[in-house]
Amino acid sequence: MRDWEGGRNDREESRKRLLESLSMSIGNLGRGWKIYRRSLLAMLGLLMVLSVSMVAIFADEIAVQHPYRNLTDTEDKWSNNPDQQELPPFSEECSLREQKITTDPRSRLFSETVVAESGNKVSDSIALGYYTDILSVTEIIKIENDRGYDQDPSLITIDPNNSSIFVLSPDLYGNSSHYSGVWITYLYENDDMSHWWLPEGYDTCIFGTNKEGHDVFSKVVYGARVSLTIGITVATLTVTIGTIVGSISGYYGGRIDEVIMRICDVFFAIPGLILAMAFVAAMRSVSSLTLPVWLGVLLPVLMLAYFLNAHLSTTVLSGDDKVSDQAMGVLMNNRSLLVSVLAFLFFVGWLPAIAWSEFFGVSSSRGWRLTSSLVVIVLLAAIILADRKFVQKNSMDGALERIGSSFDWTNPWRYLNFRTAVVFLSMAILFKLSGNEGSEIILIKDFDKLWQVQFALIFTGWPGYARLIRGQVLYVKEMAFVEAAKSVGAPPSRIMFRHILPNAWAPLLVAFTLDIGGTILSASGLSFLGLGAAPYTAEWGLMISESRVAFQRAPHMMLYPGLAIAITVLGFNLLGDGIRDVVDPKNRR
Amino acid sequence: MKLHEFVVRRLLLLIPVMIGVAVFTFAVAQIIPGDPAALQCGDKCGLIVGYDDDGNPITAHQANRERLRLDDPVSIQFERYITDLINGDWGESQKNGRPVLDIIKTSAPVTLEMAFFSLMIAYPLGIFLGIISAVRQDRMFDHVSRFFAIAFVSLPIFWFAMLLQLYFATGPEVGGICDPIFGTEGGCFPIFDRHDQSYTYPVEGYHWFYPEAGTGFHLVDSWFVTDAKLAELPSEFDTNRELFMDTLTHLVLPCSALGIASSGSLLRYMRASLLEVLHEDYVRTARAKGLSEFRVVVVHACRNAMVPIVTILGFSIGGAIGGAVLTESVFGIHGMGTVAVLGILQLEYQIVMGVTLLTSVIFLLSNLIVDIAYAIVDPRVRLE
Repeated sequence: MRDWEGGRNDREESRKRLLESLSMSIGNLGRGWKIYRRSLLAMLGLLMVLSVSMVAIFADEIAVQHPYRNLTDTEDKWSNNPDQQELPPFSEECSLREQKITTDPRSRLFSETVVAESGNKVSDSIALGYYTDILSVTEIIKIENDRGYDQDPSLITIDPNNSSIFVLSPDLYGNSSHYSGVWITYLYENDDMSHWWLPEGYDTCIFGTNKEGHDVFSKVVYGARVSLTIGITVATLTVTIGTIVGSISGYYGGRIDEVIMRICDVFFAIPGLILAMAFVAAMRSVSSLTLPVWLGVLLPVLMLAYFLNAHLSTTVLSGDDKVSDQAMGVLMNNRSLLVSVLAFLFFVGWLPAIAWSEFFGVSSSRGWRLTSSLVVIVLLAAIILADRKFVQKNSMDGALERIGSSFDWTNPWRYLNFRTAVVFLSMAILFKLSGNEGSEIILIKDFDKLWQVQFALIFTGWPGYARLIRGQVLYVKEMAFVEAAKSVGAPPSRIMFRHILPNAWAPLLVAFTLDIGGTILSASGLSFLGLGAAPYTAEWGLMISESRVAFQRAPHMMLYPGLAIAITVLGFNLLGDGIRDVVDPKNRR
Repeated sequence: MKLHEFVVRRLLLLIPVMIGVAVFTFAVAQIIPGDPAALQCGDKCGLIVGYDDDGNPITAHQANRERLRLDDPVSIQFERYITDLINGDWGESQKNGRPVLDIIKTSAPVTLEMAFFSLMIAYPLGIFLGIISAVRQDRMFDHVSRFFAIAFVSLPIFWFAMLLQLYFATGPEVGGICDPIFGTEGGCFPIFDRHDQSYTYPVEGYHWFYPEAGTGFHLVDSWFVTDAKLAELPSEFDTNRELFMDTLTHLVLPCSALGIASSGSLLRYMRASLLEVLHEDYVRTARAKGLSEFRVVVVHACRNAMVPIVTILGFSIGGAIGGAVLTESVFGIHGMGTVAVLGILQLEYQIVMGVTLLTSVIFLLSNLIVDIAYAIVDPRVRLE
């Protein structure tokens, strides 16, 4: 065993290597950037992606109208504006409003002055609810009575001190034709319809309005947020799942590989969109994504048991053969893990026949269950040790010394084992302290339609990555350095994460970038079919779908959302192509 | 490996996948919320239709559940599902009681027709542009066509279809560009459906003027409509030829939308494959012999570059069926995609199961045929 001094040298060495590898990767990045920069299309793609991301981040600043939320709603809502339906882009009428003013003095609503206010509901926070904007009037265009006859324009004037207030002339009251009020049409000017970043005169709805009177431009801007969220979430999760499944399949091969690949074949056999549609339909009744408590406790404890077992067999027992099969071999060959799982399920009370609380009459609170299951694991560890000592006759010589050295933070191998155990232990403790005393752990509280779409796309997308990663792993697995790591005795997880995956990431990165675009396309397609976002959400596919009834009369309603999709997806595709040129030189032609 | 061995092996590999798809569709149908029994009786579910042996009332809902045998264990339901599938009983629509197989029989040919013609557009276009792009590598044309290839892949197909409708199927007053160019009135192509809308047809007998044993392919059937049925149609359809042309023009826009969208990836494949072949020794030899560049590219290089393109035909068919869902929705065509969307929106799981199964069968079979063709063309594949 190394002493403290040796450990210090090791640490210095590793720090030096880290710095070297950092500077090397920075150099690689620089070289990659130089290659990337050469392609005009790739730069165009980068520009598109950056600008769409900027728009998504600063949507609050750029957009004119904003969605609001009631306290009870979980989805964005846009206030309807019946005066401004289906207006073409740059329409003057965007700053034109009609308002009814009650003039009958007998009415309870009567007052001599009336405030000009917009129909738009604006809100800064969910807690505030919403309020209507006060408009500042620039010009009164006409006054009509309830039957549509024009009235004398001088009957109503703008208050000279406050341009938001109409003053009603006394002549209005006596006239019997005004009993039920008059309609006043006026031009207004205020923040409600102006873009701070555009010159004067261009600041009315630049993409027009839709059927409900929402500003199409604002919805397109907010749609960037929705689409990018979907794209990045789905791509990240599919990559994670696909990588795990694909690397298991590629590394272990054999029967596992065969089964996983057949499952992938099933997924490939059904066209993606139809598959996603079926998944969306299947998830329709899911309102929140929860994890049963037993699973939430089981996962960390299982991991803890697994690493504890590996730790014990490398430190306390001196068997030479334990090193190589310590990780996966435990799962495959060792019955003790199965026993520990069964014991755990029993103590958690999940085995319904003999529930813990009935059996012992003790409180079945989670903390108690967790502690008891941990105790069981420790007991099991003792049993394993005894088993090895007395049945398998493994030598225990020097066990204390090895335990001591295993807690030596300077030994990188021991340190890794130890660190992993600590991570899972702290996870379990955190979980216990979180105070989540329901019967289920809530992962996603509002499993709304967007989440349904995202999960449907994740379910349909992972086989592609699994196949990609499997191929890469099969390729890298045969290389000499993996052989070397194996012969040194590195566990499969270490070989996987430290040796194989870092050498297989290049096609993964390209696929990831391209997949963001593909996901945005599929999600908008699902929304278009009415299976995606909730009605009136600012989702591009949905906006196109909503514009279908009037797309010949008002093509701007579908033109701009579609352009937004095309630009975003094109950007990601060009970016992916550019990255492919950098990381995979043989494709560069 | 002999060719027949290869074919047999591929066929055997198909079996687990087919079983998997059947299991999968069954599982999805089990998860989809909604009670098919309640769907069938609608608002009359509370109606008492009889009494059981103990004298307890049986509601229509309970009777339906019993008739559909929904209370059986899942394993028995699955067994019944598989035997029914093999016996050709794919269930029936919960709303109107039409057999699913019948619905699919009328809708599948429509989608296949569309997919076929869209590939007829996509393949020549993609291959032609790919060849030019590869020959003129790194020139202006190459850059432009590569950009458009990526752009076509990136376009949302439903939006592209709507743009085609807007510009080629409407008059100039709403932005149509077709009228000034071709001198037509109200757009060059029809905007909706598979037939002229000047005559209406009963919803159920959607292809009522076709021969009794029609193929379901509208183009074929329109050619074989009997004179007696033609007489029932409006006067502009006097002959089969006019009817045929009408159905053909209705195909142009949807097929162009699908075809152009899928030609982008074909262009890229063709370009990459041809570039690889152009660096081969035999191409150099052909050039050294003094053959014209046209002959070198078209006769020597292209034939070899086409082989990998043929292999993605199977995937293209799958992609075209997937894209057909969206295109059919835009153009109001009653194909499999529309049937699937309606089935999912109305929670008719029997229809969803049927369509999923059929599309996967089509996809797998087309891939199988392509693979066998590939093995015939390129014997190296069989060796692995």
